[in-house]
Amino acid sequence: MRAMVFAAALCGLWLAPVPRAMAHHSAAAEFDSSKKIDLTGVVTKVEWTNPHAHFYVDVKDSTGNMVNWNLELASPNVLIRNGWKRTSLKPGDTVSVTGIRSKDNPNFGSASMITLPDGRKLTFLAAEDQAK
Amino acid sequence: MRYLAVVFLATCAAFGQQAQKTGNIGLYRNQKLPAEGPAPILADGTPDLSGVWLGSGANAADIAAPNSLKPGSQVLMLPWAAEVVKNRQSKEDPEANCLPAGIPRGSPYPWRIVQTPTHYFILYEGNIHSYRQIFMNAKHPEDPDPTWYGHSIGHWEGKTLVVDTVGFNDKFWFDYKGHPHTEKLHTIERYTRTDLGHMSLEVTIDDPGAYVKPFTTIGSATLMPGTELLEYICQENNQDLPLLHGPARGPGGQ
Repeated sequence: MRAMVFAAALCGLWLAPVPRAMAHHSAAAEFDSSKKIDLTGVVTKVEWTNPHAHFYVDVKDSTGNMVNWNLELASPNVLIRNGWKRTSLKPGDTVSVTGIRSKDNPNFGSASMITLPDGRKLTFLAAEDQAK
Repeated sequence: MRYLAVVFLATCAAFGQQAQKTGNIGLYRNQKLPAEGPAPILADGTPDLSGVWLGSGANAADIAAPNSLKPGSQVLMLPWAAEVVKNRQSKEDPEANCLPAGIPRGSPYPWRIVQTPTHYFILYEGNIHSYRQIFMNAKHPEDPDPTWYGHSIGHWEGKTLVVDTVGFNDKFWFDYKGHPHTEKLHTIERYTRTDLGHMSLEVTIDDPGAYVKPFTTIGSATLMPGTELLEYICQENNQDLPLLHGPARGPGGQ
């Protein structure tokens, strides 16, 4: 069965077209791909808005101070078609987030992968179970 | 090894058959794929382009990229235009400012063609949430006021819808790189539905105010039979603008 899943994944890679443009602005002009973020905290707010959805997470920094991070996702239009719901992430959820940081706002980032305590994974573009 | 390769390809073919009904279209995963079949025709014999489509008539990152141009076409800018491209900044891009993308710049969002006997409409989900109207078998006004989408008239040449547009303002950019144009811009778009699920697009760009000679871009669109247009109000929460830095460039930095 595992071999079948692996073969399906390989074929998926082989058959899938490569997406082109991703956003309404240059991501490279806004985010520094060398500034990786890896945060764990509690979601305080979700903005299900265009041109990008945002969620905010309270995270303790290295000195123990609570910092509210603003994390960007694709537009709700992309997320909805890729399996997200507006309730996929809710205030009060504890999340682990990886991504990259804004060039000049130290608490603003682009979220690549969000992991919830029950193991659900959400990405910048898709709910993971829809992404296969 | 050869046996393994045969098994792999046969397995992929089997998955391909199974997956024929759903697959990726652009950024969108697990989408209902268009069925196979010929391009539909309306009762009066007119080709039917109606439906929700994803795609565009040029490379949105760089209109001058080799994969954006019809073989033999070249983007040759007048010196002032080349200077503009050199100096434009990402944060000045109308698209980043939630302003229209113009023609032929595409977006990751689908659009719908609606055909009526006298008017064809292109409804854009994004970016931005807007529309174009194409007046069929009509004439351009003598001195149209310059606008973002200009004044468009359409006619059929066989299976190809030809849309002729003048009366543009000079505000939108052809691509993320910032290729400019002037109010002298004249575009001729050619939409050909090649089968049920696919359309080929060609756009001739003639702007003697900014380019040495006309050039033609190429692109394509895929039908998205499983989706409807959604609302996309870019102005609502555009937090990115103050955080954009550096020269105008494509989404991935190219």
